[in-house]
Amino acid sequence: MATEVDLSAARPASTPRSGRGSPQATRARRQGLTAWLFALPFVVIFSVFMLVPIISSLGMSFTDFTSRDIQTPFAVGFVGFDQYADLFSNNQFLKSLSVTGYFVVVGIPLTMVVAMTLAVALDSGIDRFRSFFRVGFYLPVVTGIVAIAVVWRFILQDNGILNAVLGWFGIDGPNWLNSTTWAMPAMILMAVWRNTGTLMIIFLAGLQAIPTEVKEAAAIDGAGAWKRFTRITLPLMRPTLLLGAVLLSVGYLQFFEEPFVMTNGGPLDSTLSVSYFVYNQFGFGKYGTASAASYVLFVIIALLSLVQFRALRSKD
Amino acid sequence: MYRDIRVRKVGLVTAALTATAVLLAGCGRTESAVGGSSAAPSTIGSAPATGTLTIWAQADEAAGLPAFAEEFMKANPGLTITVNPLPWDAAHSKYQTAIAGGSTPDIAQMGTTWMSDFQDAFAPIPTSIDTSVFFEGSAKTNEVGGTMLGVPWYVDTRVFYYRKDLAEKAGWKEFPKTWDEFKKFGKDLQTKAGAKWGIGLPATGTDSFQSMLMFPWSAGAKLTNDDNSKWTLDSQQWIDALTYYQSFFSDGISNPNPDTGAGAAEAAFVDGSTPVLVAGPSGIGSISKAGGGADYQSKFAVGRVPSNSSSTSFVGGSNLVVFKNSKNADAAWKFIQWMSTPEVQVRWQKAVGDLPAVKSAWQDKTLADDPFLKVFGAQLEDTAAPPTVTTWTQVSAAADKVLEQIVRSNADPATSLKSLQSQADSIGTGS
Amino acid sequence: MTVTLDRTRNRDEDVADAPAETVGRALRTPMRWQLVIYLLLVIGVLVALMPFVIMLFSSLKTQGEILRDPRSLIPQEFTGENYSRWFSDIGIGQFFTNSIVVAVATVAGNIVFCSMVGYALAKMEFRGKKILFGLVMVTLMTPGTVTFVPLFVLVSKLGLVNTYPALILPFLVTPTGVFLMRQFMSGIPEALLEAARIDGAGEWRIFFRVVLPLCGPPIATLSILTFLGSWNNFLWPLVAAQSEDKYTLPIALTLYSKGQDATNYGLLLAGSVLVIAPIVVLFLALQRFFVQSVVSSGIK
Repeated sequence: MATEVDLSAARPASTPRSGRGSPQATRARRQGLTAWLFALPFVVIFSVFMLVPIISSLGMSFTDFTSRDIQTPFAVGFVGFDQYADLFSNNQFLKSLSVTGYFVVVGIPLTMVVAMTLAVALDSGIDRFRSFFRVGFYLPVVTGIVAIAVVWRFILQDNGILNAVLGWFGIDGPNWLNSTTWAMPAMILMAVWRNTGTLMIIFLAGLQAIPTEVKEAAAIDGAGAWKRFTRITLPLMRPTLLLGAVLLSVGYLQFFEEPFVMTNGGPLDSTLSVSYFVYNQFGFGKYGTASAASYVLFVIIALLSLVQFRALRSKD
Repeated sequence: MYRDIRVRKVGLVTAALTATAVLLAGCGRTESAVGGSSAAPSTIGSAPATGTLTIWAQADEAAGLPAFAEEFMKANPGLTITVNPLPWDAAHSKYQTAIAGGSTPDIAQMGTTWMSDFQDAFAPIPTSIDTSVFFEGSAKTNEVGGTMLGVPWYVDTRVFYYRKDLAEKAGWKEFPKTWDEFKKFGKDLQTKAGAKWGIGLPATGTDSFQSMLMFPWSAGAKLTNDDNSKWTLDSQQWIDALTYYQSFFSDGISNPNPDTGAGAAEAAFVDGSTPVLVAGPSGIGSISKAGGGADYQSKFAVGRVPSNSSSTSFVGGSNLVVFKNSKNADAAWKFIQWMSTPEVQVRWQKAVGDLPAVKSAWQDKTLADDPFLKVFGAQLEDTAAPPTVTTWTQVSAAADKVLEQIVRSNADPATSLKSLQSQADSIGTGS
Repeated sequence: MTVTLDRTRNRDEDVADAPAETVGRALRTPMRWQLVIYLLLVIGVLVALMPFVIMLFSSLKTQGEILRDPRSLIPQEFTGENYSRWFSDIGIGQFFTNSIVVAVATVAGNIVFCSMVGYALAKMEFRGKKILFGLVMVTLMTPGTVTFVPLFVLVSKLGLVNTYPALILPFLVTPTGVFLMRQFMSGIPEALLEAARIDGAGEWRIFFRVVLPLCGPPIATLSILTFLGSWNNFLWPLVAAQSEDKYTLPIALTLYSKGQDATNYGLLLAGSVLVIAPIVVLFLALQRFFVQSVVSSGIK
């Protein structure tokens, strides 16, 4: 089916239709109604279980709400932007921003490149053991963090497996989890291991949506493999790349689980991320501060996503 | 671009709406009564307990509790008890949200350091419960702002585990009693018994500060002043204790970067590379297992915290609390009272392994004659606990970092403590 | 970093993006490059699987051996005790059932509702579309921890605590799902839909007959992601369920293997293996569907 797959797939959905006559207007109105019917079940559940809690927590960030106020949520002091201002004079919070920044700047490109490489390799002429490779690369994603922590300690500790392997090559590996320099690279390593699978699957799905005819045509025109990849595959993958980049950065900016189970944010705060800072504040019962810090993180996530939307927006 | 502007607009509208809502709701702090000054029942009735009770308990305690609940129900035929188990990892969050949602049980097992976090949700204990039967350190963890909000259930204290065979090889027939001896003991284990590290001490990570409090406490240092209104973390006793503690790391007796992975401490203990470690009663079981079984118990022993001006250890464990929302508080207190009788406490120890919080329970032979447990029993006579103030977790977290700097970066204890004191001052004691 | 990038380039030199047999000569990957690709994939998969292999072997050790010798790979004495405890003493069945009920309902809700709204957002014009999409993105970017307490207060006000709906409803639709479906659907050529519209098909018909059949890969992706999210979710089910008969697998896992200050590692690792097994099966099933959908949707 669908032999004539139009490849300007990347064209924005909101292509204006020609003509402005009255039948079109009626159709547009009818389509608007249908569209809302399509959206209705989502909108109802979404509003109740997502918007309401978000609005409440946003409200909390402007108050001095603590764990002792949970039974009387409205009897709290309204402090405006005070908590936001306090955050930016809190050294630990500033440190956590730079830790998260480090993780994101190194982790996102690394994960995307690894995932894309694997997806392309799996989608190349390989036909033996394909399922095995897919499952193999995806398995790290499905393993729960608690079990991962136990195993990764065996790997990362000073006389662990990683340093043993490095030893074969004459490298004297560092004490990964106890070094302020090497704890972050170790966390990034774990995160890449854990997240590549998901991204690889998304990229594979995107790659497979590209019809072979197009690439064949290019190949016949004499384009080499690298040229076909950069000129045809990558541009057609824009929506998928955007999806991957946004999902990954939303996840990575909330970097938390790896230091939580491996280093407790240490040594000397070198792996204390913003989400970890928020978690600690919740633990201390300072809900107001925790909410404010969360919304600072939110603004950063939103800004980064905006940049990505700009950079990867489909070109007409 | 278009989309982006909208997003921002929506955000602003939402913010404005929320702000208005909060303002309209007439918010603003009113000084309400703190703690449980609401009417405390003076006595517990003597009639059998009736109705239904829900108990939330963690891990091992939850596994052991149903049998005891069954027995209590037999004695009180009109009563139904449901036990719901919680994992330790997330129990704090669970209580936090349950209180927020108003869906608390009747009785709960509360970690001793959590009492102040949820103080407003607990009912004060009936005045007829005699708290002098419990170990003093343990009873004190229940006192928040002058009110008793719970009853000790079981206790947990820290002692030193050491390899008897290696100690003898190093020329030590008994565990050292004083600080000077203790340090020499560590050195001798290294030089005469071939240990890589003499003593395994908490160096870094969550609660590392809490785990080494036995040293400052034994030097006479206090975390707060008497009425818990001010932190006192830079006194001379503190400086002495941390200088002593630091010397273990700077002299190479203790490892500043110990492995914290699965069984790492036990493995280092069994293979002799770190033949001394700090642990609670659960260490008996885990070290025996690492050593190959119950036979291994002849190879190691436990010793009290070495003394300076005293030999004071950390006391933890769990308390039992009744929530204010409970509709069956009378039955709840009856059950707790029964769990606190010496006879039930002894049976509880046998069933679950928890150490009794009631002093007289320790006269029982199984406890008094056990070579390991009797050391715990002796140590329990001199224990202390962190103050029951809401900001303890916060100060403790800040102190973990300071300890890490002292241990790893060889920071000057006096200067570090001064900075900790000023951090603690700005955090306050929440009162 | 540089090494990785270079490797990408080399590897892609002769890479074609479709199964070899369907492609003409021009796109076939030469033998020597196939070997290189295989070599790299094998090394990569070994690295990826290493922790899992450690987990599997350690789960067959006794607790004593894990404590004594955590670094050796092969157990000195194999024991099935960690597994049998899950089945006989603990009774993992109830937790499996709960996890499956919650995960299946969550996946079903996400497939139906997210693809519906995704279609509207990708292919239809309506007032409020930009705001709706904006709100979805805002929710996607909101850190989860911050809404936790308000969400629980809401669920208890609705009287849902300790019911299956409490475990399912907050995840029945996810912003990630909407974003994912919208992104894939916006890649469907407008011409296809126009053709159907000209034939007089209504939007519902177009959605079910034209759009959904093209969405095999994204629906498979969404199913895996949602299933996984639900399957591994820990804190919410713990809080929303208030009795053991509503607990899901991850709760049971920590409940039985972790004490106040001691962890039963063997039990924990064996439990983790049991928790992972169904996902591997699900993934195997769905990835076959990936391949099929590619074969049927357009290339032949």
